[in-house]
Amino acid sequence: MTEPFLIILGSGMLVAAASGLVGSFLILRRMSLLSDALSHVALPGIALGVVLRFTPLWGGLAALFIGVILIWLIETKTKLATESVTGVLFVTALAAGALLIPEHELLEAFFGSVEKITLQQIAFQTLIAIAIISVALKFLKPLTLFSVAPDLSISVKVSPVKMQLLLLVLIALTISVGISFVGVLLISALSIIPAATARNLAWNYRSFLAFSVALAIVSLAGGLLVAQRYAVTPGIATVLIAASFFAVSLFWKK
Amino acid sequence: MKPEPLLEVENLAVALDGKTIIEHVSFSLEPQQVLAVIGPNGSGKTVLLKTLVGIIPPAHGVIRWRPGTRVGYLPQRFHVDHYLPMTVQEFLNLKSPAKGALHRTIAAASMGEKWLRRDLAHLSSGELQKVLLAWALLDEPQILLFDEPTENVDMVGQESIYKLLHRLQDTMRVALIIVSHDLHVVYRYANNVLCLNKQMVCYGEPEEKLTPDTLSKLYGDYAFFHHRHSNHQRDDHRYGHE
Repeated sequence: MTEPFLIILGSGMLVAAASGLVGSFLILRRMSLLSDALSHVALPGIALGVVLRFTPLWGGLAALFIGVILIWLIETKTKLATESVTGVLFVTALAAGALLIPEHELLEAFFGSVEKITLQQIAFQTLIAIAIISVALKFLKPLTLFSVAPDLSISVKVSPVKMQLLLLVLIALTISVGISFVGVLLISALSIIPAATARNLAWNYRSFLAFSVALAIVSLAGGLLVAQRYAVTPGIATVLIAASFFAVSLFWKK
Repeated sequence: MKPEPLLEVENLAVALDGKTIIEHVSFSLEPQQVLAVIGPNGSGKTVLLKTLVGIIPPAHGVIRWRPGTRVGYLPQRFHVDHYLPMTVQEFLNLKSPAKGALHRTIAAASMGEKWLRRDLAHLSSGELQKVLLAWALLDEPQILLFDEPTENVDMVGQESIYKLLHRLQDTMRVALIIVSHDLHVVYRYANNVLCLNKQMVCYGEPEEKLTPDTLSKLYGDYAFFHHRHSNHQRDDHRYGHE
């Protein structure tokens, strides 16, 4: 193992921890498909980065924030059915991004590419991952309550509108830092599959969060290690590992 | 001397999506009083409670809480996902209760210590209601707003929750606003009744205000009397027949 690989592994484990944590709220709030759709929005941003030669991560992040603001506005200000609008919007974003991006870069954007990660990018990702984890833990109770029983959150002076925005921002940040590892198409798997597995295994909320974070870390670390030894893309290996944990958890279920 | 009211509502109107749901609602509530809100389905009872606690903004009128009043709210629906991995204790802790409050509260809500370790997802709707009551009691409210569920409540649960509320009124000296579908509850527990059907149809003491005329205005003649008559026998020993 080379030194850069160890750095990537360490950074990846933090990113995975953030994904697992945010993923547990998505599962509770039944927003897993929304995060899947949202991840596609990153593609046009990444494409612009590739075409105009700036770090694609920034483009992806900017595009995601526009996506978040759009969802939030649609949900709070209009009477449109969020599901159908997000469906239309995000598939369009995917098509537009795929059109812009050169074909040989497309697969990397879809499934992730670890080789191209620069040290600067790693530092940035790691910091964002730490920020996501700290904010999520700081707001753990209001975020949980909002996800479980939105009607009750008002009774503890928690604004559901603000919590929804906070959650969307956390999702967008999680997607943006995870993309280089697992790509646009698979990123939501990194947050959803571990949380779904954790729900099958958990006996209370604390264990649910712990399982979700641990499974995300193990899956991504496993994916990176497998990709190091065999000719597989890390993103694909990660998702398959996470999915096999899920399959096992089905038999475990009470 | 009359005590200062906990809550005064003047000429309240609420609209959702530009459509008026309730209007011309005025009442007041003193400490330790019980107000029952009755009316047919869709008459705006739940909307009224949600407006009082601040979930829905009023379109018009005034809601005046006595400053510093702690309000507990039990919503009508509390859906818990079948797979939610959370114990009762973890759920109640989401409210960050003061030290000792958790154990005091579950005792007040007639729940034993073993309740704390139970899975939220495996509780019956009546049991969930008790958990919600404990949630509302955690910060020792001076008033509880209770939105009675219309469906899916086990009868045992429903019966005991009224006894429980009645006891809380005595021991913790809480005032209550109860949305109810059951006139027995109104006659037995309420100081005042507010009949709602988009507008305020009556307001005052139940014995005085619940005249056949008012009731038929509220529910429509035939459906109401027919329903009451056919259920009369069973009504005497159970609640929540709707």
